[in-house]
Amino acid sequence: MELEKLLQKHFGYHTFKTGQKEVISSILSGKHTLAMLPTGTGKSLCYQLPGHILKGQILIISPLLSLMQDQVEQFKRFGEKRVIALNSFLSPTERNNVLRHLKEYKFIFISPEMLRVPFIIRMLQQLTISLFVVDEAHCISQWGFDFRPDYSKLGDIREKLGNPLTLALTATATRKVHEDIITSLGLEEIVKIESSTDRPNIAFYVEKLADYHDKQNRITDLVSRLQKPGIIYFSSKKAAEHMAALLDEKGICQAMAYHGGLDQNTRILIQQQFIYDQLDVICATSAFGMGINKENIRFVIHYHMPMQIESYLQEIGRAGRDGNPSVAILLYSPGDEHLPIQLAEGELPSEQQIDWLFEKAKNEQLIKDNRIELSYQLRDLGGFSEIQWRIIEDFVMNPPQNVRSAEMLKFTIKEFVKERLGVKINNIFQMKKWVESTLCRREFILRYFDEVLPKKVPSCCDLCGLQLNEYLCNETTPLLKKGEEKWKDYLAKILINSELSE
Amino acid sequence: MLQLETIILFCIKQLNSERTIYSIYHLLNGKKSSQTIQDAHLFSLKKFFGIYESLTRESFDEIIQSMIKKKWIDHSGEQHYLLTYSGNSILETNPPPTYLNGWSYHPFTSLFWERFSLFIQVTSNLVFGDTRYVPIQKNNDVHLWLKSSLKELNVPRKELGNIVYSELIECFNMTKEINPSILVFRLTGFQQIGLTPLQIVKKFNMNIHDYHIDFIHTLHYLMQAIKLEPSGFPMLTILIKDFHQQDELTLSSRKTWNLLNQGYSPDMIAKFRRLKLSTIEDHLVEFALHVDHFSIDPYVEKELQTKIVEISREIGKRQLKLIKDKLKAATYFQIRLVLAKYGGE
Repeated sequence: MELEKLLQKHFGYHTFKTGQKEVISSILSGKHTLAMLPTGTGKSLCYQLPGHILKGQILIISPLLSLMQDQVEQFKRFGEKRVIALNSFLSPTERNNVLRHLKEYKFIFISPEMLRVPFIIRMLQQLTISLFVVDEAHCISQWGFDFRPDYSKLGDIREKLGNPLTLALTATATRKVHEDIITSLGLEEIVKIESSTDRPNIAFYVEKLADYHDKQNRITDLVSRLQKPGIIYFSSKKAAEHMAALLDEKGICQAMAYHGGLDQNTRILIQQQFIYDQLDVICATSAFGMGINKENIRFVIHYHMPMQIESYLQEIGRAGRDGNPSVAILLYSPGDEHLPIQLAEGELPSEQQIDWLFEKAKNEQLIKDNRIELSYQLRDLGGFSEIQWRIIEDFVMNPPQNVRSAEMLKFTIKEFVKERLGVKINNIFQMKKWVESTLCRREFILRYFDEVLPKKVPSCCDLCGLQLNEYLCNETTPLLKKGEEKWKDYLAKILINSELSE
Repeated sequence: MLQLETIILFCIKQLNSERTIYSIYHLLNGKKSSQTIQDAHLFSLKKFFGIYESLTRESFDEIIQSMIKKKWIDHSGEQHYLLTYSGNSILETNPPPTYLNGWSYHPFTSLFWERFSLFIQVTSNLVFGDTRYVPIQKNNDVHLWLKSSLKELNVPRKELGNIVYSELIECFNMTKEINPSILVFRLTGFQQIGLTPLQIVKKFNMNIHDYHIDFIHTLHYLMQAIKLEPSGFPMLTILIKDFHQQDELTLSSRKTWNLLNQGYSPDMIAKFRRLKLSTIEDHLVEFALHVDHFSIDPYVEKELQTKIVEISREIGKRQLKLIKDKLKAATYFQIRLVLAKYGGE
């Protein structure tokens, strides 16, 4: 059957988005494939559709638990029930139950830490895995901003599963990262499908302001005049809350904050309110956006500078999915780079923390067979955050082969931290260079990803003479008056479909 | 004034300075200690048990301070308070919400809301023929429950929305004391997403504590109304069909109960279970409260039981220390047992 017909039959779409068809064809002709598709081009379709043709199971390795849950839900919404997520959200009974019936699932999502469990590998070995999918494959690379040690072992796991046909998916990544992915997975011949990083309908605009006070004023001014809906990104929950309250108090628009500190129910409601246009603006941290499909976002403003160009592209990539003109605005004031540097340092254990841990382990004789016995007390006493502790745990549980003593392990961890910090700070530096660029911003980004700009777009960036006028609303639409609807009317609106009663 | 203030005033009046102010905090929080459970029974405060699990101690302290400032309550000992004259008259003109029934409903309240809100969302999307929406409740058990419950409803899908609508209107029409807006605007339907608690607070320009009490009050009202007349609400009744008054004993006291029935003494049970004797005694007090056929005779002689009851009636208080002072022969444990068994009368 033609691919388009399959697409229509199973998903109800008429045409593929950029790159999708090429990736699917490459997979179906039995070739290992590395696909770099920009955010919002429907990467999951690239393995979901082949699933309707290939026999056996599709195994998808995905690093983020919340994203995994989202994807599973989305599969189910589109009528695919043979899908399961193997991760730490499952209770032991649920997990056993799932493992016993593993053959009945078509799509198995799994987190990298689950792949460490030998029993699970044995269960997977009994299946016929027709496609091995590595989602967010840039996590494999030391050069990637989101390197995960777990991910670098996927090559071994792939071998244990009999070197199945492989699809590595990544959003924007540099050439160096691509090479790492290919060698790490042990793929010799591979088809690379890259669609351009460029999103021609999104214009860039950077504005330099004196301080945060000016930024706040500028944002209220921009938001009142720009076409909506839009997202404003912050690096701190507090700043996001503050701005949402300010926009609301001043009656500028319907705005709400969204961040990881809110309870799950509130997060779902706010996300959905935004999707159904009940909110104009979301003031968010980077926790917002994953798995959100909203076509008509007209602007993305950054109040704080992201930690790397990759994240920046991912976040602004949520604008203009309908193809209509949209704008990405970044506000910069001097010294803004300090915050991301602080955040970068906070993601890694500090030298003092590492020294403390090994000293403590030595004094309290927690080292047995050259291995430290880790505990939550140690984590809390040492003030390790979850993300810091994950690094320590990974080194202690799976030390590199040449490391034979605690002293050597300590040294190795410190070296690792230094190296990671170096990568992160370089990323921040690149971001800042982009902010301070005097040449075209679009070309700068493309060059960063070793691409060339195919065709100059008319609405490009501030440095190419972009004016914000074309993104402003024609007239200021007055805020809808709230609080006039009666509860009975609301209830009738959601429960009674008048078209049915005729 | 806040509804929470009325509730606290009511509690202070009932406690009559025999317990500290924080016993009210534990009561509202639904703390599962034998002391709190026993107090709820002794002072007839069961309906407020666990109605505000998210109340913080800071908020509680703030409310108490403001009531002192308004001269509604007066200090009567460390952490003890009594109503003032104006406190009394305020309480008379502002009685606590009628339908709160924490003791019976607090184990089901949040489950009821999860079911109710998902049921409405699913019904709405059925009526409008949308199948690709994001469920606002993530609890898998609730999803499974709804799936099997919907199968049992013998109603054409087209009609479902109309029927649920009429049932809800009828249910809310039966009372004047409930303002359904607080609940209704939180509901999600087809392409219409419900508000968060804070958005409701802003929409109606109300206090967050009032919102919370109103919300719980409305849920308790619904559960009660449906339960009272299931045949009047054939759709809504599926929400509570399997809500049975749970066993009132905690898991740990259930173990003690089993051992006791095998003939072990409290001492032996304590040793056997490696628990303090006082914990086992707490369990026995729980039995005295909840298990009608549990006899306290093996632990308190009949004569002593009568004396304890008499003295407690005489001084009109259920403060253990006062009784103990008048009756040196009794232990605290014995007094608690007797009060638990007969104190509610």
